[in-house]
Amino acid sequence: MNKMEIIFEARAENEAFARMVISAYLVRLNPTVSELSEVRTAVSEAVTNAVVHAYGEAGGAVRMRTHTDGRRVEIEISDEGRGIEDVAQAMQPFFTTQPDSERTGIGFALMQSFMDDVRVDSVVGGGTRVTMRKTLGGGDA
Amino acid sequence: MLNMRREGAKLTAYLTGEIDHCRAADMRAQIEDALGDKAIRTLTLDFADVTFMDSSGVGMIIGRYKTMKARGGEVIAANMTQPVQRLFRMAGLHRIIQIEGERQDAHE
Repeated sequence: MNKMEIIFEARAENEAFARMVISAYLVRLNPTVSELSEVRTAVSEAVTNAVVHAYGEAGGAVRMRTHTDGRRVEIEISDEGRGIEDVAQAMQPFFTTQPDSERTGIGFALMQSFMDDVRVDSVVGGGTRVTMRKTLGGGDA
Repeated sequence: MLNMRREGAKLTAYLTGEIDHCRAADMRAQIEDALGDKAIRTLTLDFADVTFMDSSGVGMIIGRYKTMKARGGEVIAANMTQPVQRLFRMAGLHRIIQIEGERQDAHE
């Protein structure tokens, strides 16, 4: 078990920061290029959701918490923002609340494709937590 | 600033680095600015130097496709690296956007 947690501002430039942190964290598990790319994309989608939807102009904090157990990685990305009214609808491919800003609505679909398991817990007015799990293949733990 | 090259009715935009929500807005603005010239009929997005792309990049590509389609023009996606190609296909963009010069080796 190796735990890590960071908290950062819900700002667009921190999307790249979150991807760098998760890459650095996973290096010791020697993931394949494609596995790393999948995890980075899933993290990017979850953090972008928090940046775009959770707080609006006011801003707020995004927490990325992760731990590994052998080759199993669990990543939790959470905010304390406005929350999602209908999680099932939000997870539908191509559903977006912001079509005019070129949001595609495929973020959750990508997280589900790239990770083994994705769970979304959300409370309106209380925030959203995305929990993703993936077991990495080859390499030494 | 994005590097762009104009040849007659063709505009090529050389995208670089990581295309996420943070950078997509800026790329969109720069390309749309260049597309203000309605004589441009073909927009080529060159991905040779793109190392990462998420759904925000997909949105940026669809947005430019809409701009070009509205004037009867086209978009070409060139030199996509492997992770970019994968997302491109997952999003179904290969059904509406022509692909040139796929790379198998890139960043693997």
